[in-house]
Amino acid sequence: MISWMKEIDRILRGEATRLSNLRLGRIEYGLPQVTLGTILLAMVSGLCMACFALFKRGGPNVMQSVATVVKVPLLFFLTLLVTFPSLYVFNALIGSRLTAASVLRLLIAAFAVMMPVLAALGAIVAFFSVSTTSYPFMLLLNVVVFSIAGVLGLNFLMGTLHRLTIAQTEPLDTFILDEGPEPAPGETTEIPPVLQSAGPLDRVPGYLPTQNVKIVFRIWVVVFGLVGAQMAWVLRPFLGNPNLPFHWFRLRESNFFEAVTVAARHLFGG
Amino acid sequence: MSAILLAADSLLRSGAVAAGGAARLGSLARMDFRTLIGLIAAFGFSYGALMGTFGGVRGDHGIQILYSAIKVPLLLLVTFGLSLPSFYVFNTLLGVRGDLGNALKALLAAQAGMTIILLSFAPFTLLWYVSCSNYNAAILFNSAVFGLATLTSQRLLRRHYGPLLARDRRHRFLLRVWLVTYAFVGIQMGWLLRPFVGSPWMATYFLRRDAWGNAYEVMFRMLMR
Repeated sequence: MISWMKEIDRILRGEATRLSNLRLGRIEYGLPQVTLGTILLAMVSGLCMACFALFKRGGPNVMQSVATVVKVPLLFFLTLLVTFPSLYVFNALIGSRLTAASVLRLLIAAFAVMMPVLAALGAIVAFFSVSTTSYPFMLLLNVVVFSIAGVLGLNFLMGTLHRLTIAQTEPLDTFILDEGPEPAPGETTEIPPVLQSAGPLDRVPGYLPTQNVKIVFRIWVVVFGLVGAQMAWVLRPFLGNPNLPFHWFRLRESNFFEAVTVAARHLFGG
Repeated sequence: MSAILLAADSLLRSGAVAAGGAARLGSLARMDFRTLIGLIAAFGFSYGALMGTFGGVRGDHGIQILYSAIKVPLLLLVTFGLSLPSFYVFNTLLGVRGDLGNALKALLAAQAGMTIILLSFAPFTLLWYVSCSNYNAAILFNSAVFGLATLTSQRLLRRHYGPLLARDRRHRFLLRVWLVTYAFVGIQMGWLLRPFVGSPWMATYFLRRDAWGNAYEVMFRMLMR
């Protein structure tokens, strides 16, 4: 129980992604524990979202809240399942040295950044879910919360991808210093002191992301974003419109992007 | 009783530069979290009680005093608690969790300072209540008092958060994130917990019968009208 928290904490604090820990070309952490932890945290955030259905006027909608708790982890892992093959192929095509296993580890680690953010913001989501009756407001609030988690997760992904390339191309002993003892006063080291207290989102000073890293990252963001949005559309409803009866899934109509276009046309008077 | 007042006094002076000298008077180091939370509870409770006297103290309205007294510390502390988990995760992600204890202490000190300043303004509020019986004016006056107390307490916040800001620019970003989160939750919390002043023409309830709603939705609708 505690071990998954510790492992996720190592990723959050940036310990798992220090350059000296990436020398083998992959992020070292306990994959089963972190996977379990991300699922649990996703369920916690699902529970916070489900408060809207639980505390709605005219009695709780228990089935909807169960569905929400199950659907949030499902959303992330199904997106991973659908996108993983193409993400790996793009990555290999561009000439990166990451193996399939280390790509998987990298993506799960990004989940381990997104889920704690989602679950922590869940306190606020739950509070608004309990006190608010407005369905559109909750919808927008949840979109904002998921976007915050997504942006932080992608930041982590970009930073770590960059670090992984550096750790593999630079001579190994360059990075042993950031774990070494404090330098004596007056003595200078090659590694800037910022590395010692850096979080997982910090860039490595002095190194700019190479063109390859940027290309891989852009492709990943587009693929992951598009599939994630569409997956959320397939799995809807997450909140449950209080005016509609409960269904596990809505009818297979339209798609996320069409719905956005229709809404935009509606809004701007088409 | 005198222990509370002494603690309040040393909080107000903490970190200030002594007149004419470079020495800093006291620090937050000796003040623990329990003292700070205790100060918020005690001073918030007292101001809330005085704030609730608008409708009179007799009969049904007497209970409004107790309700208002409970609501002020509740508003501050529950909002703080709800904003805390995300602040913790953001601090960790940006790599400055080591400073989290100091950061939280500075935030709580500013809150406690706010309630102390609020209570020191209570005589003005009572004078206003005595001289003017307009309910809306009483609400506006109290909003102004809360706003002024919050502004004044920024001095304490800057004093105690200052060293962190000077050390690492990431703290500046985190402080902004905190203030946005806190305000976002606090506005809804304040809306939910109304009435704080208590209309003398309405029956007394802990929460309004129609309280469940959304502050931002109401605001938007008011603006659209």
